[in-house]
Amino acid sequence: SLTKQPDEVFDLLEKLGEGAYGCVFKAIYKEAGQVVAIKQVPVESDLQEIIKEIAIMQQCDSPYVVKYYGSYFKNTDLWIVMEYCGAGSVSDIIRLRRKTLTEDEVATILNDTLKGLEYLHFMRKIHRDVKAGNILLNTNGNSKLADFGVAGQLTDTMAKRNTVIGTPFWMAPEVIQEIGYDCVADIWSLGITAIEMAEGKPPYSDIHPMRAIFMIPQKPPPTFRDPEKWSETFINFVSQCLVKSPAQRATATTLLQQDFIKNAKPHSNLREMVQEAMEIKRRKLKNGSDSEEDDEEDGDDDVDVGTMVKVSVDHTDGAGTVKVNSLASSISGTMIQHDTDMGLGTMVINDDEEEDTGTMQWRGADTVVKNNDVERPAFMNYFDNVGSSSSESGSSGAPPGGAKKGLPAEEAWKFSKNITEMNFSFLKNLSVSELQIRLGALDPLMEKEIEDLRKRYFEKRQPILDAIDAKKKRQQNF
Amino acid sequence: PSQQYDTWQHNQVVKANPYLSTAEIPRWLQVYSKAPQKFDNKLRWELFQVQELDCFSEMLTMLMKKELEQIVMSYESARQAIFAEVTSRKPEDEQNRFESNV
Ligand SMILES: Nc1ncnc2c1ncn2[C@@H]1O[C@H](COP(=O)(O)OP(=O)(O)OP(=O)(O)O)[C@@H](O)[C@H]1O
Ligand SMILES: [Mg+2]
Repeated sequence: SLTKQPDEVFDLLEKLGEGAYGCVFKAIYKEAGQVVAIKQVPVESDLQEIIKEIAIMQQCDSPYVVKYYGSYFKNTDLWIVMEYCGAGSVSDIIRLRRKTLTEDEVATILNDTLKGLEYLHFMRKIHRDVKAGNILLNTNGNSKLADFGVAGQLTDTMAKRNTVIGTPFWMAPEVIQEIGYDCVADIWSLGITAIEMAEGKPPYSDIHPMRAIFMIPQKPPPTFRDPEKWSETFINFVSQCLVKSPAQRATATTLLQQDFIKNAKPHSNLREMVQEAMEIKRRKLKNGSDSEEDDEEDGDDDVDVGTMVKVSVDHTDGAGTVKVNSLASSISGTMIQHDTDMGLGTMVINDDEEEDTGTMQWRGADTVVKNNDVERPAFMNYFDNVGSSSSESGSSGAPPGGAKKGLPAEEAWKFSKNITEMNFSFLKNLSVSELQIRLGALDPLMEKEIEDLRKRYFEKRQPILDAIDAKKKRQQNF
Repeated sequence: PSQQYDTWQHNQVVKANPYLSTAEIPRWLQVYSKAPQKFDNKLRWELFQVQELDCFSEMLTMLMKKELEQIVMSYESARQAIFAEVTSRKPEDEQNRFESNV
């Protein structure tokens, strides 16, 4: 915002942490000697939206929301300058102390968080990224919401560019489903955050994030793993946040009236916790060990769930079961379009290569194109090879002639049109250890397949984005 | 509750994705999304307007999500099948399988 380079204005001190979109540093505003936090976000282009959002955020003034001072450009980085919260985020505190929070501590924090949300929602702003990592504490034990707005803006920009796919554990079902949402989407995330603070991680975080995305809208609302450990008022509070129908969900204002919150202890209740966490951090810093690496060592509760990009799907079935049906299948065959006149909505499709696997046909309304290998997930190829010495086959579609190879009878997973009707009967003939191997192979294979999918769409989108950029440039020149 | 729903819908800050149903997505784009890349240069995107191009981009995202769902759900059923098989074996273990195979 100013003409000076930001590194002339600020002295960067140590790195505070790292999120989905960049790193956060402690810094000193030289002129006033004031300590601030600076988030550095690498960005390509198309920043108008983000800048606009930051401008709005700068107008927000609440003790429960992290104050935004301004933003700068430094080369290809956007620097977002904000209020420094000396105790770090709630998830930092949990990680540093290796201890989850008590109910009392959770209540005190949520009391502030709800006031922050009430403020934002009153301004008709949705935070969109409520989680323990975005609730920051200052040294007095005051909690402040961070990353509001920017998060959503960055998410949108990145999603448009198809660059990130993130983790959904805090996302409300309606957000995942993309059926439209309002402020109470934050309340769902708050309920998840309450569980996160009490249990150390959000529900579903130990399953693959891509699976979680589909579980959340499909399954009943998550609950505590061990309900006996928690009071009725706490459980009640969380269950009011985790109502799947947004229309029925509580608002920040009504939740502030809940017993769990009304009985919350003052900030002084958090002093011990805050001081302990800061002491550990100081010690780590003195030992010269990068705090991040240290955390890696203690392993499994290191839920690396920083990203907040939405990967959404719609489950139109109101009954809450996922319907995976006649939607056009993935095409691995070859095709060529002889008709480049795409604008007219006609397209002639022909089989290019003489392989007999690739006959394209137009099907009914919701089936696009089919060939024989369609609907054969990559893991099938892998299973074909289990036992033989060959490694897993490439997964971008079926291998050429895959259908012809002739599967061993017991491996013939038959696909019907509906993948839920896959035939798994051959599993009966496998030993338990063989089954276990297959089970363990699923996630990596799925990941690979998703990565291929992402790559394909990235490449498909690129010419469109290029055309948009070219047109915008031309418009500017006039 | 339905009245509640109406208010909720009315108050929505972020509207529903218009392409939730693939019926809203032109079929040629669906074909394009799956065609081999070597033919992509045959399309002359510059003939469209920026607004249309934005829509196409969003539509592609939706198509990707639908395919993603298919992938994940196919693995989900495989997982469930294997899991069910393992649990059904738990006590008898290998022995059983051996016998039944003989
Ligand atoms: N204003 C701040 N004051 C002090 N520490 C901060 C501040 N903002 C961020 N941090 C620290 O930096 C870390 C990373 O923040 P960042 O927002 O980049 O990632 P995140 O919140 O973990 O994930 P996300 O990218 O989804 O927001 C936080 O966990 C926190 O420790
Ligand atoms: Mg953050």
